[in-house]
Amino acid sequence: MTLRRGLLLAAALGAAAAGAAEEGWSTRWDGVLYAYSEGYARQGGSVLNPGNRIARIPRRQDTAEGRFNFKLEGEDLRLSARPILGIRQSEGDGSGPSHQGYLSQWQGQLRLGQHWRLTGGRDLLTWGPAQFRSPANPFYFDNGRSNPLRELSGMDSAGLSWTPDRQNALHVAHIVGSGHAAPDPDPWHDAWLARFEHRGEAWAGGLAVARPAGRGAFLGAHGQVTASDALLAYGEIGSSTRSRALQSPADPAQPFALGEESPRRTNALVGAQYTFDNGQSLSGEYLHHGHGFTAGEARSYFARAADPAAPQAAAMALGYAPPLLGRRYLHLVWQNSTWDEDGYWRLMVSRNLDDGSSELAGYAEAVLSRRVTAFALGTLTAGGARAEFSSLLAHSLSIGVKVALP
Amino acid sequence: MTRRLLWALALLSTSLSAFAAPDAQAILRQADRARGGGLPGIVWEIQLTSREGQKQREEMRLEVRAVDDASVAETLEPARFKGSKLLQVGRNMWLTRPGLAKPIPISPRQRLSGEAANGDIAATDYAGDYEAQLEGEEAVDGEACHVLQLNARHKRTTYDRIRYWVSAARGVGVKAEFYSLSGKLLKTARFKYDNRIVFDGARIPFVSEMLIRDALVDAETTMAFGAVKVRKIAPDEFELGQMQ
Repeated sequence: MTLRRGLLLAAALGAAAAGAAEEGWSTRWDGVLYAYSEGYARQGGSVLNPGNRIARIPRRQDTAEGRFNFKLEGEDLRLSARPILGIRQSEGDGSGPSHQGYLSQWQGQLRLGQHWRLTGGRDLLTWGPAQFRSPANPFYFDNGRSNPLRELSGMDSAGLSWTPDRQNALHVAHIVGSGHAAPDPDPWHDAWLARFEHRGEAWAGGLAVARPAGRGAFLGAHGQVTASDALLAYGEIGSSTRSRALQSPADPAQPFALGEESPRRTNALVGAQYTFDNGQSLSGEYLHHGHGFTAGEARSYFARAADPAAPQAAAMALGYAPPLLGRRYLHLVWQNSTWDEDGYWRLMVSRNLDDGSSELAGYAEAVLSRRVTAFALGTLTAGGARAEFSSLLAHSLSIGVKVALP
Repeated sequence: MTRRLLWALALLSTSLSAFAAPDAQAILRQADRARGGGLPGIVWEIQLTSREGQKQREEMRLEVRAVDDASVAETLEPARFKGSKLLQVGRNMWLTRPGLAKPIPISPRQRLSGEAANGDIAATDYAGDYEAQLEGEEAVDGEACHVLQLNARHKRTTYDRIRYWVSAARGVGVKAEFYSLSGKLLKTARFKYDNRIVFDGARIPFVSEMLIRDALVDAETTMAFGAVKVRKIAPDEFELGQMQ
């Protein structure tokens, strides 16, 4: 969608909200304006991105963006939209300025009595308590971690929900596609999703089954327990196959193989979070990633990508790799209370326990006024060019401000 | 003679029952209603003002929908938190903000602002959460009150023990002391009831202000309750999928 069409859509929603307000519907809108600059230090001698010819990572990228929320709510009908409009200028990747305007999320919701609901739109279909990755989710395994400053866009879907009480909910949805910037071919075009959620007195859990067209079903489950006033324990598990999956035999003499569908594998995460008296919390998560490579397969993966006799191997390695290269990961987060009026900070360490590479990330927000907040995000990787977290970037720094509207 | 004795015993029994101790649990149920308990659902706005020593903290305004042990609090102010939501179902709690990938589970220890625990913004169900015993009678600011001792029935309560002063004439809680499991006084609270709601065809007083003071440090939080509406709240309004 062009910037012009995005602006027209936002204006139309605003006008509809204003008109409806006169008819007794409740309307709300808010938004946040972002302006930030990102700087990237590419990994010298990168095997997966030689000479930056494949990933085309810019040295610097400046972004101005508006993220808006419009809501129109009646007795039984609710309409909402989250348009995003922005301009981006990059240096060092050969591209010019780009404009964007799209609906990150939108939803129409019709209530049928106290317990049934029909929904349609572009919905953020996320669930589960895990922070690092989400094994219980077929659509958002990444959890938005690959770029925390960009927000996740919804999945195009239509569904029916049944909520008999506050403890139980069942959802069935037809997934039309992966929404904004869907890949081609879209692995989630014409798929089905069924999901059940239950909340007990001090625990909550859920099951999810997704059936993509022409591929094996995804099965997922998640749960969390409030063990005490301060301690949460949680876990997620998922079993799935991958489409267009790269196989990397441990023998480096063997070439890469690209299968239409990978064997079925299980991903599982366990985690815990402890909150201190001062509101700060410490979380630890361990992920077993069944779709990842063994240590031997990962070594061969980088060796093949570096092979000068096969110049396409690096592009293939980067383009079709599993969402995480390894099998075992540790993720730690230390953060202050999100309600702290002086600002918010978060420190994160992720470590691939197979190849020993790590990423240290820090995010901080400083409150400049009731509307204006400055923020910074920095990452530092360790491990070298043939290890996962340091294969593309050495470090990065983003700084910016956001202004709350209205 | 026997007949006279029986009459005397019956009269004595009637007189004693007239002066019997009031039912502590019934007093508590009535007091809860003036703070949202036992209603089909309540929607209200809360203005939170906190002070820590000499430092005045930023004001916060929330819209809260609550019924029994479930509540959703949406931040209206400050603008930078607008749209943030706190969902509580039983002892489970989640927090979300616009743009966040998904709701984050948080522990009950996370506080909203100042001295207000997350449990303080929801409808009060002391009668469901605590076992009440009548400890005695005492005046608060010249108003005769029943003094109730409340002991937690289960672990999901915000406080382990509460001493609760309920006005004998108005049937509303006017003062409370909150204790930890070890018996340490954590906080005190005072209540005002300048709101009115219609329930079962009658206009009843409803909480308008709760002033919470920390018993250990010089800090206090005032919660002002306004725009109070009693309405049935559909169960899906407490669903995680509705938070985004």
